[in-house]
Amino acid sequence: MYKVSLLTRDGATIAFDAEPSDTLLDAAERASIYLPSSCREGGCGACRVARASGEVELMSYSSAALSEDERMAGDILLCRARARGDLALRAPFDEAAVGSAPVPERRATLVALEPAGSGAVRLQLQYEDDPTFGSAAQFAAGQFVELTLPDGSAKRSYSLANAPNWDGTLELFIRLQPHGAFSNYLRDRAAVGDTLLVRGPQGQFTLDEASPAPRWFVVGGTGLAPALSMLRQIGEFADQRPCRLFFGVNKVDELFALDVIDELQAALPLVVTLCVWKPEQDWRGFVGTPVAALAQALSSATERPDIYVCGPPALIAATEETARSCGVPHDRIFSEKFTAA
Amino acid sequence: MFCYQCEQTYRSDEGAGCAGAKGMCGKDAATADLQDILLYVCEGVGQYLHRARQLGATDIEADRFILFAFFTTLTNVNFNAAKFVELIHQASQIRDRAKALYENAARAAAKIPQTVLGPAAFVPASNMAGLSAQASEAAVRKDAAILGEDAVGARALILYGLKGVCAYAHHARVLGEERDAIYATVEHALDMLAREERDVATLLDEALALGRANFLAMEALDAANTGAFGSPTPTSVRVTPIKGKAILVSGHDLKDLHAILEATKDKGVNVYTHGEMLPAHSYPKLKAYPHLAGNYGGAWQDQQKEFAEFPGPIVMTSNCLIEPQPRYRGRIFTAGPVGWAGVRHIADENFAVVAQAAQALPGFTEDAPEKTITIGFGRDTVLGVADKVIDAVKSGAIRHFFLVGGCDGAAPGRNYYSDFADEAPEDTVILTLGCGKYRFNKHDFGTIGGLPRLLDMGQCNDAYSALVVATKLAEAFGVGVNELPLSLIVSWFEQKAAAVLLTLLALGVRNVRIGPTLPAFLTPALVDVLVEKFGVQPLGDAKSDIAASLARAA
Ligand code: SF4
Ligand code: SF4
Ligand code: FES
Repeated sequence: MYKVSLLTRDGATIAFDAEPSDTLLDAAERASIYLPSSCREGGCGACRVARASGEVELMSYSSAALSEDERMAGDILLCRARARGDLALRAPFDEAAVGSAPVPERRATLVALEPAGSGAVRLQLQYEDDPTFGSAAQFAAGQFVELTLPDGSAKRSYSLANAPNWDGTLELFIRLQPHGAFSNYLRDRAAVGDTLLVRGPQGQFTLDEASPAPRWFVVGGTGLAPALSMLRQIGEFADQRPCRLFFGVNKVDELFALDVIDELQAALPLVVTLCVWKPEQDWRGFVGTPVAALAQALSSATERPDIYVCGPPALIAATEETARSCGVPHDRIFSEKFTAA
Repeated sequence: MFCYQCEQTYRSDEGAGCAGAKGMCGKDAATADLQDILLYVCEGVGQYLHRARQLGATDIEADRFILFAFFTTLTNVNFNAAKFVELIHQASQIRDRAKALYENAARAAAKIPQTVLGPAAFVPASNMAGLSAQASEAAVRKDAAILGEDAVGARALILYGLKGVCAYAHHARVLGEERDAIYATVEHALDMLAREERDVATLLDEALALGRANFLAMEALDAANTGAFGSPTPTSVRVTPIKGKAILVSGHDLKDLHAILEATKDKGVNVYTHGEMLPAHSYPKLKAYPHLAGNYGGAWQDQQKEFAEFPGPIVMTSNCLIEPQPRYRGRIFTAGPVGWAGVRHIADENFAVVAQAAQALPGFTEDAPEKTITIGFGRDTVLGVADKVIDAVKSGAIRHFFLVGGCDGAAPGRNYYSDFADEAPEDTVILTLGCGKYRFNKHDFGTIGGLPRLLDMGQCNDAYSALVVATKLAEAFGVGVNELPLSLIVSWFEQKAAAVLLTLLALGVRNVRIGPTLPAFLTPALVDVLVEKFGVQPLGDAKSDIAASLARAA
């Protein structure tokens, strides 16, 4: 049995014991400490922390979740690490992100399914009433849920696009992959009335509410979903701080949710830049990536914004580099990687 | 940031004050700085309003804004930096208006308007980064080197007392009770703070003037509450949950509670009070709602645990809010002056969404065993049995009254108050108010001559009731309040308590015991003045303090 102590970003110390045979994530859960995680198999990076001292054994994982550089710097994945001595770890999240109960599992009914631009769909689910959780959809804007197909054959995580609400509604935008199990279901079999298992809310990609800086969102494709959720929440709170949205797609017909964006623009001090990388038709918006649009905007900004970026790993890396070179501190850039599934 | 306005302020060998990245209450440095700037701009508003008033011109909307702005800066009220940026800009517009009011009034009186300097001339930056850079100009102790520590302490006493006055006056105002004399005093005090006044005697006089204004504010609030909802009557309140959908309402604002009761009428939702909302059960017009089901939990410092366990939405109508935990952050609402970044705020008194949230959340799944307490001994009830009380005192059945009341807090040493209540002899009556009572209000104190020995007079907002009772009893016995067999054992935590203390001093009430510690902004010299002039006493240990109180009265 080893002693593990985890220091959170806001300075709290969380301590638990770990058996050599347990992953650190399981060991924490045995002590009713639910640390941020998602895939639990080394695929998503949600459980990445830094090792300050002590040895671990790392089982196999994907380099999308933990890059070679990160591993060299001492980072580990809690779901793939077993203690080989007492450990001191440093977490990239606040104490508030640590749960004292398992992630809720609830049932929801599919109530709407429709195309969202070419190549993606909009899905709307309705939570069933539940004795423990009631019927509300409570989450923090920007979080994701894991959906399980009605037949249990596949699980995938998707960001929520709506704001938390008391009606129990969940809205998601999902990119259809050519051969994905979940995409096949959505394309071929999904029908209104289907019941899906929803595990969530999960994830730390949420607004830093205490920060008074302007908020800029840099998103690619269905990475728009969490940004929409946060912007809708900002609108609900009648928060009048300036916001910007840089929304990028490859082709014009991939744009979606433009009606929602229009509504948000009418309600908030929100400047939107729609970015199309390869416009094949008449396009009067920005030509290029959202990162290029961000670079332009940052060069003339009078105040340093907080930057929220969501999309494929390359978009995140490019945004971080651009933002940092324009003087945005590393800890003012918040991101969520989307990996293809 | 630098803040030392409340009892829990960070204390070390070098002195007291929260000066790090966060105060003990959870207020971050950015918010603390913005609060200072807001009050500084309000001082500028006060400079103009004070001058305009001397020329017969007033702006009641500006006065109302000042009450609200000050209320937001009390301990445990508003932690939302963005809200303060908004309020600062509003304050600066109101100051422009007050300036025009003053200058027009001066011209109308054929006088040349003065150029007003200090806070009146301060130009707040347009964004957060700029405002942070200006914080030192508005800091509480900015002129300590010039003014001297005693003057700085006395100015802090005025500033914090003023916060309390504004909070009470705001509570009264939302129910339609306003007193022009309060506004005049507030403006005067703001003008004094804006000047570099350093004469301690002058400053203490101003503090006592605030104490008198606070008596008016408390009287207005009492009139507002009883006018709207009737006079409190003794009421037995359930303190355990009932099966069903539930809403929890905390804070001090009875009007908000009333609006919530209306919004949830006939919807099968039970409304519970928390903390200082407990006295609501004793108001006839509020207790007439059958779904005002009971009281849940204790004082404010327990809320993180209690709110996490409450299975429905929670509404904070005023102080005291502490950092909402993730487990209930999505289902807590703020109203009025209260705020926390990322927590839903209801600005228009429309609580329909709270009713909706209650329906969507699980509620209590079973009844807990029934337990009750009795509350509702406001001034009318106590004075209604004045004859009995007077007889009991004359016959010796009641030897002494202790008012053990005020704020609760998390600091060690607060068991003094429960020890005091528990140790008070059988032939004494304990009056209580404020959330400090949660330390002992579920204990059984028995009765004296048909009266309960523990009489709960209500919120800290109901201190007026206690003063009226004391004054009337003194009249009946033909003595002064200080000659009554009555001792005041007051616990302070935040700035309303500072205002009440100033009121007690202004009314000549002596020998008040305050604790658990003395305010950090009072220098030893200022404490000496309070001790000498007013007999103010720090706490000793409960047993000997009881003995001393009884001996003095004998
Ligand atoms: S209100 Fe009290 S705890 Fe909060 S910063 Fe000020 S002194 Fe510290
Ligand atoms: S009595 Fe004081 S500490 Fe208690 S809730 Fe009221 S203001 Fe807060
Ligand atoms: S939970 Fe996904 S990598 Fe550990």
